[in-house]
Amino acid sequence: MDEQAALNVVGQNVRRVDARAKVTGEARFAGDLSVAGMLHGKVLRSPLPHARILSIDATQAEALPGVVAVLTGRDLSGRLYGHAIKDRPIVALDRVRFVGEPVAAVAAEDAATADAALALIAVEYDELPAATTLDAALAEDAPLLHKDTPLSAGLFHGLGEMKAQPGNICYHHSIVQGDAASIFEGAPSAPIVVEGEYTFPAIYQYAMEPHTVVAQWEGDGVTVWASCQHPFLVRAELADLFELPVSRVRVVVPYLGGGFGSKSYTKMEPLTVALARKAGRPVRIANSVGEAMVTTRRHNMRCRMRTAATADGQLLAREARLWMDTGAYADNGPRVVATAADAAPGPYRWQALAVDAWGVYTNTPPAGSYRAFGATHLQWIGESQVDEVARRAGIDRLEIRERNLLRPGEQVRPGGKPLDADLVGDVRKIAAHLDWHAPKPPDVGRGLGVGLLAAGAQPVSTALVRLEADGTATLLVSTTEVGQGARTVFSQIVAEELALPIECIRVPGGDTQVTPYDRSTGASRSTTLAGLAVQRAAREVRAQLLAIAADCFGLPPAAIALRDGAVWHEDESRSYPDLFKYHFGMVGGELIGRGEVRPERGKESYAAGPVFWEVCTGGAEIRVDRATGRIQVLKLVSVADVGKAINPHLVEAQEMGAVMQGLGNAIHEEMVFENGQILNPTLLDYHIPTIADLPDSFCSLLVENGDGPGPYGAKGVGEGALAGVPAAIVNALADLGIIVHELPLTPERIWRALQTEGD
Amino acid sequence: MLAPFRIHEPTTVRDASRLLLEHGDAAAIYAGGTELLLLMKDGLVHYPHLVNIKTIAGLDQVALQDENGSRTLTLGPLLTHRALARSATLREQAPLIAQVAERVANARVRAAGTLGGNLCFGEPHSDPATLLLAWDAVMELTSTDGSRRVPAISFFVGLLQTARQPHEVLTSVAVPLLPAHAGAAYEKFALHERPSVTVAAVVYLRDGAIEQARLAVGSVGPTPLRIGEAEEALAGDRPAESAFSHAAALAARTVSPVDDLYGSAEYKRHLVRVLAARALSAASEQAARRERA
Amino acid sequence: MSDMTGTSDPQVLLSGEPSGEPLEERPRLPITLTVNGRPVEAVIEPREMLLDVLRERLGLTGAKRSCDVQVCGACTVLLDGLPVSACCTLAYEARGREVLTIEGLACDGRLHPLQEAFIDCTALQCGFCTSGMILTAKSLLDETPHPNREQIRAALQGNLCRCTGYWNIIEAVEQAAQAEVQGG
Repeated sequence: MDEQAALNVVGQNVRRVDARAKVTGEARFAGDLSVAGMLHGKVLRSPLPHARILSIDATQAEALPGVVAVLTGRDLSGRLYGHAIKDRPIVALDRVRFVGEPVAAVAAEDAATADAALALIAVEYDELPAATTLDAALAEDAPLLHKDTPLSAGLFHGLGEMKAQPGNICYHHSIVQGDAASIFEGAPSAPIVVEGEYTFPAIYQYAMEPHTVVAQWEGDGVTVWASCQHPFLVRAELADLFELPVSRVRVVVPYLGGGFGSKSYTKMEPLTVALARKAGRPVRIANSVGEAMVTTRRHNMRCRMRTAATADGQLLAREARLWMDTGAYADNGPRVVATAADAAPGPYRWQALAVDAWGVYTNTPPAGSYRAFGATHLQWIGESQVDEVARRAGIDRLEIRERNLLRPGEQVRPGGKPLDADLVGDVRKIAAHLDWHAPKPPDVGRGLGVGLLAAGAQPVSTALVRLEADGTATLLVSTTEVGQGARTVFSQIVAEELALPIECIRVPGGDTQVTPYDRSTGASRSTTLAGLAVQRAAREVRAQLLAIAADCFGLPPAAIALRDGAVWHEDESRSYPDLFKYHFGMVGGELIGRGEVRPERGKESYAAGPVFWEVCTGGAEIRVDRATGRIQVLKLVSVADVGKAINPHLVEAQEMGAVMQGLGNAIHEEMVFENGQILNPTLLDYHIPTIADLPDSFCSLLVENGDGPGPYGAKGVGEGALAGVPAAIVNALADLGIIVHELPLTPERIWRALQTEGD
Repeated sequence: MLAPFRIHEPTTVRDASRLLLEHGDAAAIYAGGTELLLLMKDGLVHYPHLVNIKTIAGLDQVALQDENGSRTLTLGPLLTHRALARSATLREQAPLIAQVAERVANARVRAAGTLGGNLCFGEPHSDPATLLLAWDAVMELTSTDGSRRVPAISFFVGLLQTARQPHEVLTSVAVPLLPAHAGAAYEKFALHERPSVTVAAVVYLRDGAIEQARLAVGSVGPTPLRIGEAEEALAGDRPAESAFSHAAALAARTVSPVDDLYGSAEYKRHLVRVLAARALSAASEQAARRERA
Repeated sequence: MSDMTGTSDPQVLLSGEPSGEPLEERPRLPITLTVNGRPVEAVIEPREMLLDVLRERLGLTGAKRSCDVQVCGACTVLLDGLPVSACCTLAYEARGREVLTIEGLACDGRLHPLQEAFIDCTALQCGFCTSGMILTAKSLLDETPHPNREQIRAALQGNLCRCTGYWNIIEAVEQAAQAEVQGG
């Protein structure tokens, strides 16, 4: 089929196919499910950041009427799990490594009894010195978190060979290009050097649905209904932990109440499965918000960066050293560190680069994925240095980017995919929307930022389309509906390829027993990769329909068209049900199409990727109340560079959400720790942006250059704006002469910055 | 899940007081529950006996009274913040109190949370407490021993502590109506659910000078505070920015904030200074307008 | 208990109150209430939250537990027409009163204008905040049939959404208000 042919459904603002279920309360999330005989599980968590467990006495808890089982480390084989590094036990074995680490779990007839039982479990700890900050963990005499852990590589990290690291270093990633040191040392040729040290906070993703898992053992296998984004990776990890073949582990994912990376990889599933096994009955465990915070968070980070340029603003070299606090267990830390390293240079033409990025274990809750990781961490830093270079060179901040940004086809990183987006065009659009060259009031700051995010993760996805004898279709695909609208977008693709009305297409949720393999839902990959598999599956059915029609009409397939649920030749048509009758000789049968996406031979590694570069941009106009330091956001703008918007409204919706999360990351949000303990573990003291925090105006500009590897030239979106907004706001602040090297930009931090300027 | 408790349903204040006496430490007054239940859910406190005072009639009225020629509004303790915000009488007679009530927490807390509960809980970050302290409200406390009146300035005693004895029930809050030559204003700064700094000011003008000023600062210490030093400094002064600035500086020096999630002590002092100046200025402006009108 | 550090805090155990009494020692209370127009009789413990009675006993899972400290609004239901945090409202408070949950909003299969508008304006993504958001908007429209943007924002300030960025929600409420005016 000609890609340029007019599209009927793709590109339209089709209503979400799950909207009705969600506005009526019918849509089920993991916590809404119950199975017969289900018990309520509660988790006992460590109050200390680092301690040896001397003893656990659960006899009183077990004796409480209504308690069916108590799980401790004694009930487990001791096998470890972890996406990148297998470093984590299901519950603490001989020691605890963070405040909040699961130590035991209770399954009881009702939640109240389970709660009461927790208080009856007596745990004796021998407290150990704790390294609860980056400094403490990197110190020479730091207590070591995993000195005795038999670490091994995780199942699917994609980071090549995982080498053992010294001390509390979990992972190290470096990028070297040319000789950066000599450029920085050669002063005359690099007259502009911008240097700084920056701090990024720990942030809580706050998917509104906290992690919830129901586990049920049956016969020789286990079924898990889980709030997880990657059912197949969870399945593999559970199979590995409990020594089962993957076919005996079934992971079912209903609607997810938000993911944002907080439900990537394995979280509460192993614990729930283990507790259900001990109890001999199904168990549901639902995290509270406080528990979700100690299950996963965004890495906090320290970064030292310097940028060298010529006197007239040509960028020469960048050096960055960054340390990311991955907490007590690695989770996705190494990938986050690698992506951060990738983001440190920014999308510019450099003569030399030297980036060193370390993931560090600390006695704090484990950090993992959160939307636009790496890019959000580094873009505000790199972009603020580019702005400073521009100021010192006396050139416009848009112009410096026009001059130094990479063009499509240029190398972004050695051996990786060249740039596939028109960044200069994107950043010009942001600038135009901000009326960049127009005069503005002296108390208004204007800023923008641009960057890239390696998107797509690993390109392995499959889909099945089943066309029924009544002309309806079922699409089997394991993408998790986290709210992004995947089921709607995929329905559009099938509707387009098979000329069917959207209402005739059903997309049930992921179920590893039924829906075929998809690597994951995250890294902005679903439309691009799973969507491509969906398109291929639908096209396979299309080809079958054409072949049958050709036979039926006695014409070559090329002479036949699909339209309105029928095959056509000139004025003659046969509906799909008629065609089925013709083909199967009865009212029945089905046509099945399969679509597969896999990496090119020899290009399976992350280093050879990414699948595509996601564009991260943002533009901002702000005012500052100098008396209090409070930022008033006047305008925010982002660019959704999506190749082809299969559903423009859904693209815009993703952008709006990403922008508000970017605003939260930039201005409001920070997990505050003391001795490894979270001081603000509830929303009473952790501010999530409300409707009152909206900027006065917001706009997302759609760019469709047809340059994506996905269906119809599409590529992913949804993360970029989150990274772009902090960069834009930091640069807007600098435009007002207010320089801050620490996020979030709380009123107090702004106020202090103003004090030091002697304002 | 909360530990188990019984709910008692007295129909008179006397019965409520008796129940509180009987159960002592094991009992708490239960009205809107918007503070109490949060604390109990946290496991920080437990009361096996909750004395529900919503079953007592007549504690949710707004009444206008004339006592010895001075007009007073009495507010029932069971008035929710929402009811206060919508009370026609309050909006007419003391609109700022209604406006402040409308900005407490969120719509759901306002629908259930009560004025009495808020005041008696003694949570430091309280909008009504700060405002009514500046307003010179008078709290009526009733028990099996009878009734007594405690002016707001003596009501807030410490962190989560008021002058209310465990067996007493707050039965009304008397709010003197401001005369025509007085104005009131309220300022707050909030980053989280609860405000970081709250300031209320009442200014009386006479013949172009400040006859009297009352300034209350809340949320930056265990209780809201009246800044006597600032009030004295303002008395007799011309209502100019410099006077308000000076008073605000005094207020900033008087409070003793600590470093916490709401900000550093230094920053809070600074905010007190900024907000106090703004509140005094706005109250004074309102007094001038009302005087002219 | 929602805060995990409190559960192993020795001070809780020393409070003198055994938290796991046998079933017979837990007080119970029969109540009748109206839920979505239908009478309901239940025997509850005074300590039970309205949210749990709705979700676990009545199977009305539209109201969700999220923050559990009455901040996010995901648990919002209407009690005698006013929005309350069901996670922090005792079920006891609903005795003799009317509860409206999201499941009770549609009438004979016909969606409420707010539900239609939320669908039309893409005012939802993951859907977890949606029940609470719609019910709060309903209570606004019931009191203020023609709200301006400021009033909409003020009314919804206590309902968090992590997915949508709120713009579409404001539009949906405006659209629903217009539809109701036109008798839609």
